[in-house]
Amino acid sequence: MDDKNDIISYEAGTQINYTGEIIIMRDAAQKRLLEYFSRTGQLPLDLKNKIIFYAGPAKTPEGETIGAIGPTTSQRMDKFLDLLFQNGVIGTVGKGKRTETAVQACSEHKTCYFLTPSGAAASLSSRVKSHEVILFEDLQSEAIQRITVEDFPLVVAIDAEGKTIWEK
Amino acid sequence: MTSDQIKREMKKAIRKANLEINPEVKPYIDAYEGTFSQVLKENCRVAVEKGMPLCQDTGLLEFFCWKGRELILDRTLQDILDEAVAEVYTAEPFRYSSVADPLFDRKNRMNDTPAMVHLFETEGDGLKIRFLVKGGGSENLSRLYMMTPSSTPEEIQNKIVEHIGEAGARSCPPLKVGVGLGGTSEKAMLLSKMALTESVHSHHADERYATLERETKEAINALQVGFQGLGTGMTCYSVRIMDCATHIATLPLAISVDCYICRTGEVIFENG
Repeated sequence: MDDKNDIISYEAGTQINYTGEIIIMRDAAQKRLLEYFSRTGQLPLDLKNKIIFYAGPAKTPEGETIGAIGPTTSQRMDKFLDLLFQNGVIGTVGKGKRTETAVQACSEHKTCYFLTPSGAAASLSSRVKSHEVILFEDLQSEAIQRITVEDFPLVVAIDAEGKTIWEK
Repeated sequence: MTSDQIKREMKKAIRKANLEINPEVKPYIDAYEGTFSQVLKENCRVAVEKGMPLCQDTGLLEFFCWKGRELILDRTLQDILDEAVAEVYTAEPFRYSSVADPLFDRKNRMNDTPAMVHLFETEGDGLKIRFLVKGGGSENLSRLYMMTPSSTPEEIQNKIVEHIGEAGARSCPPLKVGVGLGGTSEKAMLLSKMALTESVHSHHADERYATLERETKEAINALQVGFQGLGTGMTCYSVRIMDCATHIATLPLAISVDCYICRTGEVIFENG
């Protein structure tokens, strides 16, 4: 899953333990990115080939790499998907179903949407090996952050062909 | 009882609700064998071991307080509970999830206040406080429907099931569903929240409502949304209805949901 070809090969329903880099952002940061992009035609950070995790971690306890971390509702982020995909994002991670428009966008850009367990934040934090805030520090837990993870549990919910786990 | 004693006990209860899995729902989590089941079970253990919250969304705190009219405190319950929340959330590795000004600024308040406090007056000099640690994902599923007075129990049930079917997967199922029926619009919403503080094993005292609770729960489980919205395991722990008299022209129906970890608590302070 470290390059785009690997990601395209996973079918909806596949479970993966992902090891690698993830960029964290959610509502407030994406709203700012969209404003920035509308004004300047570029982004203040490079998102090419990145995986975006919709999350806002809790405070980091003394001696830990990161605090409790888990997905927030992806559907609220659907309106920012075009922005992400135009700028080279290859995958998104969150919780819950997405809109039909989002499914189409994923398939059009050959990207995957992954679920990771919600309400498992203490457990997921132990799979994070490094953590740094990279942009918008004033947004606190909603700042843009970079983490590297080991054996992070994911399920492909929308695959690059536009198939989803919700079709019966 | 003093304000400081109340604050001290509430701080303990708020901390515990964030770290220790609710014993009422633990058997359901233990019994789940589907996707992500190992991580969910491990989470209950790691949270206590590391002193980290079960969920990164440590929510807004909603308090329902029954205060005896003879109980005199040296400050308001709003002040006491704001202090309790701010002190716990500042000291613990929780998340500050409240922003000042909902539309323009949305600047983080850095202490998770204000506490959402609802106060009811009772006889005597005691105090009972129930609370919810309410995450944003489940809160976004709150709904109010102004049904018509001639609505049938089936129509009420269908409305609830339809809503959970459309949106339930976003709210970390299995869900506890609180329903407020009657009163006025805001009264129904409040009742639906108070219903979430009830046990998953409790029922309405009126058998007709208890039947509606049970049948609605079965219909929601038949949707097979499942743990994490992944189609296996139960979808709904319980449906709990609380009702109130209403206007001849209205039938408010309010729905609130709580996520699968059901972070709630109750503290009872006997006489002053």
